[in-house]
Amino acid sequence: MTADKFEPLDPVIHSQVRLAVLSILLTAHRADFSYLKQETGTTDGNLSTHLAKLEEAGYIKVKKTFQGKKPLTTCSLTEKGRTAFVRYVKALESYIPQGRE
Amino acid sequence: MDEKQAKEEIQLIKTMLDKTKKATAESGTLFIVWSVLIAVALVGNSILAFLKMYDWEWVNWIVVTVAGWVYSVIYGIRRERLEPVRTYIQAAARHLYFSCGTAFLLVGIVFPVLKVYSYEAIPILIAAVSGVLFFVMGGIYEWPLLKWAAALWWAGAIGMSFLKSDGVRLLLFTILFIVAFLVPSFILRAKYRQVRAPQ
Repeated sequence: MTADKFEPLDPVIHSQVRLAVLSILLTAHRADFSYLKQETGTTDGNLSTHLAKLEEAGYIKVKKTFQGKKPLTTCSLTEKGRTAFVRYVKALESYIPQGRE
Repeated sequence: MDEKQAKEEIQLIKTMLDKTKKATAESGTLFIVWSVLIAVALVGNSILAFLKMYDWEWVNWIVVTVAGWVYSVIYGIRRERLEPVRTYIQAAARHLYFSCGTAFLLVGIVFPVLKVYSYEAIPILIAAVSGVLFFVMGGIYEWPLLKWAAALWWAGAIGMSFLKSDGVRLLLFTILFIVAFLVPSFILRAKYRQVRAPQ
């Protein structure tokens, strides 16, 4: 395979945490901050930074509410995010030679 | 990015999808609660029929249905508020439960009380709606056993429509309830415990 056959990877998604977050949100209608933190195994600050990047790109929607007195942050995937994720997976596949995966 | 990294990223996506699926497996709690309530109502119905207190049979079913609905609504609101993640499958399942619950209420209580049809048609229509509930559930949770339960409900609905005796019809309904409702409910619960058990 030559280098020109590789699809470019979206830099917004090209990070372990952001890719994990989008993968979760692909099947989840919504997921809250604590769930994302637990599943991605990251810290509050780190996750917040990654979520901000995804939100800035318009890939996710972040909603801040309260559950009783506790703040609750929930995230959901936007249509733009879904399209970008699908394109990213297709791009990833271009790095794997056909018939070996 | 090389081939190895690409494979690692695809594996990460698969792992996250699996985790989300596990986190949102159907607990079967509502099915168990409704199983117990229907069992209580069936026993109550038999006792009332034995005592020839036919007018009270309605009260029996209305009390059970109202209790079931109240519990289901409270349970649904609680889960909605406490669940850290909600999938599209769960949203579809909740819409299915609500629509079938409403259909049970209409065909089991409202229409017969309004004398749209005779009470004899109740178990037949309940069985037909149960078939819809289990068939769609089998589809969204990708569990063929539930589709077989649906087929049993529909076959039972046809069978019951040929029966003349109320007692025999109730007996067939009870058998259907045990085989195609109670058993799948407990299997659903067991599967949920297995999926949610720490690895």
